[in-house]
Amino acid sequence: MKRCRFWQKRIPEALYGEMDPETRDSLDRHLATCGKCARLYRGLAETVRLLDVRPAPDREPEFWEEYWDRFERRRAQGMDLSGTAPRAFPVPRWAYGALGATLFLALGVFLGRTLFSPRVDPGLAARPGISETSPAAQPSPATGAAGFSLEARASRYLRRSRVILLAVVNSDPGSEESFNLSLPLQKRSSEELVQEAAVLKKELRSSDRRLERLVSDLEMILLQIANLKPQPDASAVEIIKAGIESRDVFFKINLNEVRRATSGEGTERGPGRPAVNPKAPGVKTAPRA
Amino acid sequence: MSREDEGRLADRLIAGDPSAFRDLMEAYKRKVYGLAYEMTQNHADAEDVSQVAFMKVHRSIGTLKPGRGLNAWLYQIVYRTAIDHIRKRSFYPKDALPSPPRAAFFSEPPDPSAGPEKSAEVACLRKRIDEALAKVSSRERAAIILRHYHDLKLREIAQTLGVSLGSAKSYLFRALRKLQKELDGAEICLNDGDRP
Repeated sequence: MKRCRFWQKRIPEALYGEMDPETRDSLDRHLATCGKCARLYRGLAETVRLLDVRPAPDREPEFWEEYWDRFERRRAQGMDLSGTAPRAFPVPRWAYGALGATLFLALGVFLGRTLFSPRVDPGLAARPGISETSPAAQPSPATGAAGFSLEARASRYLRRSRVILLAVVNSDPGSEESFNLSLPLQKRSSEELVQEAAVLKKELRSSDRRLERLVSDLEMILLQIANLKPQPDASAVEIIKAGIESRDVFFKINLNEVRRATSGEGTERGPGRPAVNPKAPGVKTAPRA
Repeated sequence: MSREDEGRLADRLIAGDPSAFRDLMEAYKRKVYGLAYEMTQNHADAEDVSQVAFMKVHRSIGTLKPGRGLNAWLYQIVYRTAIDHIRKRSFYPKDALPSPPRAAFFSEPPDPSAGPEKSAEVACLRKRIDEALAKVSSRERAAIILRHYHDLKLREIAQTLGVSLGSAKSYLFRALRKLQKELDGAEICLNDGDRP
């Protein structure tokens, strides 16, 4: 069987006279003993004979008379197979692929940033870890508050302070998880706000004395938070809570927001953020010590 | 063209004889066109391919090596040009291209003196062979066309297709086997004339 396969593949050589005489003799001997190969040989020989009926394709004589002229015209125009002239600076094929991949990548980045970028909640923006991603939403004292009015900066300051204070006030000193409020984060935020308070107070002194006093109160409380030990005891936190309570800080913050909303200055109010009622039940007041 | 003439023409091309290219084209234009037609199955494409192939030949004369064989060198360029053309053509939807005229113009039309019956038989058989050739792969078709109609040796066919000698033999064998199966019963043409 293996022998048959060997000879079968060599039949075309024999049919077209490319086989040397010795090999041809061997093939003939095999064909004489193998009926299957002999039938195949006769079949292929008949196929070759049939192919002779069909001559090579050709064209009419007029076609060939003009062939050279057409070729010369085409060569003079420098046309390629598609009938277009080649470019002065041919671009390799891989360059198209690279360009396409780059454009595709750029489109993906653009769409990703445009459609899927996380929206920073104004409340969360007070947390330094988040606010760092959107510097425009949280101007630092060092960089100033370019583009923001004094009222807007004060309002943002109050909101950020309120978030920190709420976290401290709502912590339960009796619980083991009392400091799941990520104290290092709040200490860092408090430090930033204390620095910002100095600038704000100076600017507010001439325009809004009441707001300036509120910022001073907050500065004091935030300073206490910033100075907390990494593992503070419950009494230190209770002192801060008592300070917040005694100064009615939440009430004053909410009152300030209402004042801004009613005076039509609430340009910095976030979308969908309702005006805050100072007595709204959503604001949890600090428990009395 | 005999092998000696072929060698002399190759020497003239290598030497930079300005008239050698024109002579090459006159000598080979029918063969080049024939292979282009067999590969593309289309007269318009065949003319395009043959002319572009000659342009490439003109540009590539410097790559022709003495003693390498003009035939294999030339047919290799034509074969590759045709394959490139087929690939580009298959990239576009079929509706965007004019339907290829399949009727071939043969250098040897059926002999009118043989009578209408015989002419019909020959035409039928040619049609069957055309259909059978269209069913084999490009490489197999090139192998059988180059061997049968262009009289290239198997070694030259291997060079033209860019494959080993063993592969060239396999392509030729497979092409013949497929044609045998497709033409099985083609003798009907010889008895009944053209089939419906």
